[in-house]
Amino acid sequence: METVTIRPPNVPLRDTISSKFDIYAAYQRILKNEEISTPLAAILALTELIENSDAGTMFELVKALNDGAAELRGRTTNPISLNAGCELFIAFVTLSTHNSTTFSSLKQELVRQGQNYAAEALTYRKKIAELAVGFIKDGSVILTHSYSRVVMQTLLLAHERKRISVFVTEARPRGLGIKTAEALTAAGVPSTVILDSAVAYVMEKVDFVLVGSEAVVESGGLINAVGSSQIAIIARAANKPFYALAESCKFHRLFPLSQYDLPTHNSNILSFSRPSQSKLSMPVTTPAVEFPKPIKELTDNELLNGSHKITQEQISKNNPDVDYTRPDLISLVFSDVGSLTPEGVSQYLVGMFSGSE
Amino acid sequence: MPVPTIADPGPSVAPGGSKPPAQPSQKSMTKAERRELQEKQRAAKLAQKQQPAGSMAPKNKPPTTPKKAAFGETGGVKHHGLVPKDVHANAVADDKTSGKPISRGLQIFSHFGLPKPIGHTVKGDIHPEIIRLGLLFSEFKICGANARAIATLTTFKKVIHEYTTPAHNTLSRHLMTHLSPQITHLVSARPMSVTMGNAIRQLKLDISAVDIDMVEADAKTHLNHQIDNYIRDRIILAGEVITGLAGKKIKDGDVILTYARSSIVEKVLLHAREMGKRFSVIVVDSPPLLEGKILLKNLTSAGIPCTYALLPAISSLLTEASTVFIGAHSIFSNGAVYSRAGTALVAMMAKGHGVAVVVCCETYKFSEGVMVDGFGKNELAPSRVTRSTGDAKAVSPALNLETLNPLYDLTPPTFITAVVTEVGLIPPSSVSSIPLALGRTL
Repeated sequence: METVTIRPPNVPLRDTISSKFDIYAAYQRILKNEEISTPLAAILALTELIENSDAGTMFELVKALNDGAAELRGRTTNPISLNAGCELFIAFVTLSTHNSTTFSSLKQELVRQGQNYAAEALTYRKKIAELAVGFIKDGSVILTHSYSRVVMQTLLLAHERKRISVFVTEARPRGLGIKTAEALTAAGVPSTVILDSAVAYVMEKVDFVLVGSEAVVESGGLINAVGSSQIAIIARAANKPFYALAESCKFHRLFPLSQYDLPTHNSNILSFSRPSQSKLSMPVTTPAVEFPKPIKELTDNELLNGSHKITQEQISKNNPDVDYTRPDLISLVFSDVGSLTPEGVSQYLVGMFSGSE
Repeated sequence: MPVPTIADPGPSVAPGGSKPPAQPSQKSMTKAERRELQEKQRAAKLAQKQQPAGSMAPKNKPPTTPKKAAFGETGGVKHHGLVPKDVHANAVADDKTSGKPISRGLQIFSHFGLPKPIGHTVKGDIHPEIIRLGLLFSEFKICGANARAIATLTTFKKVIHEYTTPAHNTLSRHLMTHLSPQITHLVSARPMSVTMGNAIRQLKLDISAVDIDMVEADAKTHLNHQIDNYIRDRIILAGEVITGLAGKKIKDGDVILTYARSSIVEKVLLHAREMGKRFSVIVVDSPPLLEGKILLKNLTSAGIPCTYALLPAISSLLTEASTVFIGAHSIFSNGAVYSRAGTALVAMMAKGHGVAVVVCCETYKFSEGVMVDGFGKNELAPSRVTRSTGDAKAVSPALNLETLNPLYDLTPPTFITAVVTEVGLIPPSSVSSIPLALGRTL
């Protein structure tokens, strides 16, 4: 990967980052490549940071890496998969043993290893597709959600060998499902876009559900574009298998206890709209919780008032981008390290980060 | 099984006692000497026989007893065994007079560790500190899994410190035979906890790894360090890491529900409070031990708003709770949590209400076995403990009524959302992969 140092004059930089290098710009530039997923882009951005860093000791280097990761995290809205990449690379730098004679050669070695890993990770999708295709029978009807590169690759590979047809959800608010449908139609795969609200309707006709993932977490659960969780619940209710596809670089040491325990959750998500002039004040029941006003407290006038028209932007701003699918709803996770059950994923993750593999 | 093999205390009686030196010398004695000894023994026996036959007064006369203990071999030993038995009998009588016969226990629960009378017999050469610890255990003055492990290890430090390897023996081979009766004594006071089992197993491993050529003093210092490290790394520091990790799962406005009292959960809650988190706690408690009262006192004095309720109220309280935090006595390989009786009920109800159940547990509490229910292994709370903490009006057992107070129960892994350990949050299904990751070879 060629290295170009971009120096945007107007971006304020963190004082801890060496002023020569803007990791976020590098990250954005790398991400422009269609093939590279967010965790890989984060890893590559960190290798560039090493190249540009003037750290003279391991301690300084790790600090620079952590600061760089924090900077990336702070400037993206959805840091989950990015975090997975950063964590993986920093764990690699700190945990594994390196035998280089000088520190600069160590840095070179780390950069080389990072880039090698990224190059290798690009082949993972093919590996996963090969694994997953074995589970797709001829004549299968598949339901997928939103857009995922690894799902696309799998579906296209399956199309080469078998007859498949695909239902794809629209995946609001970003509407990426349409992108999937267009790409599939162009490749000659029969596909239909369905509404997110029509999942339960279509589930009976579906053989299995296949989704990509933003991150696979330690519980064995899945973080993916919002809507995945409800698809998994419906699939479970209809006794249809729910398969997830994930490269191992998306395995993330995170243990959400619920939807609201995700790092992406903030108080704006799902907050109730607050009418500006309301005479009613809610009594505070518990000292710590601030209950927003329930919708029924809006006066009729306010509801009919034109100023309370709700726009699509408002809706998507108020809604989560990703959700968490519980491990007990997932049948299998296909990854480059094999087809794993959710328990297997968590065991792999525990082994990976506790230093022994 | 976590329980270490317990060597028979018989052969290791008293390296410094009066009996062993006398025995080998007998062979090397001359005929005359031997005859003399025989005579002496006969005289001693005669004196003993005469004692009970005589009036009651000479029996209680004190000077005769120490003399015999010092000189007579058979007489001394016999007497030694008698004293504790008398104490034992007194204790039984004591218990009887205080209104309750010692529980016979139900037939189907006879395999549970039955409560033992307080003044249990002291067999063999038991270190006084161990006797003291045994009393603390059997009196439930030291009760929690962590507290018992730490107390055991600290006491063993003293025992090892005061130990001297007998001649023609090596420390790495002999020390364990010295410790075995001490362990047996502790187990006789109260069944061994998994934590103690794991700690003792580590200690055994350390002892057997001591180099034969090492100077005894050095070896003892080394073992001392090993014990200190174990307490620091596996218990204290692990607890601190867990406190930090679990604290992250408490958010402003949360309502945390906990059951009974776990030292680690208490630390988690107090730490989260120190970090400025604003949350409230529901302490659910249950007789007979009512340990939650202590937790309640500690939490409220730290300024955490608390609700205290008994177990039957749980279903109405769970709708308010956001997370359930519980401690554990032990976790088995299949992810089942062995904890204070009632925990399984709390976890099951929480699962039914869709509330996350988080277990805080250090990895040294992990047990390699698999348990499927709380009947395979359990412990009964002795009536004297339940009487002192429980209400006085408790049903007193009659001929056809037995009270049964199992101390623990088993929570199946399906009811548990996450286990917080010092290596991170893991689902219960991954518990079995942790000991390997920590480099344990057993």
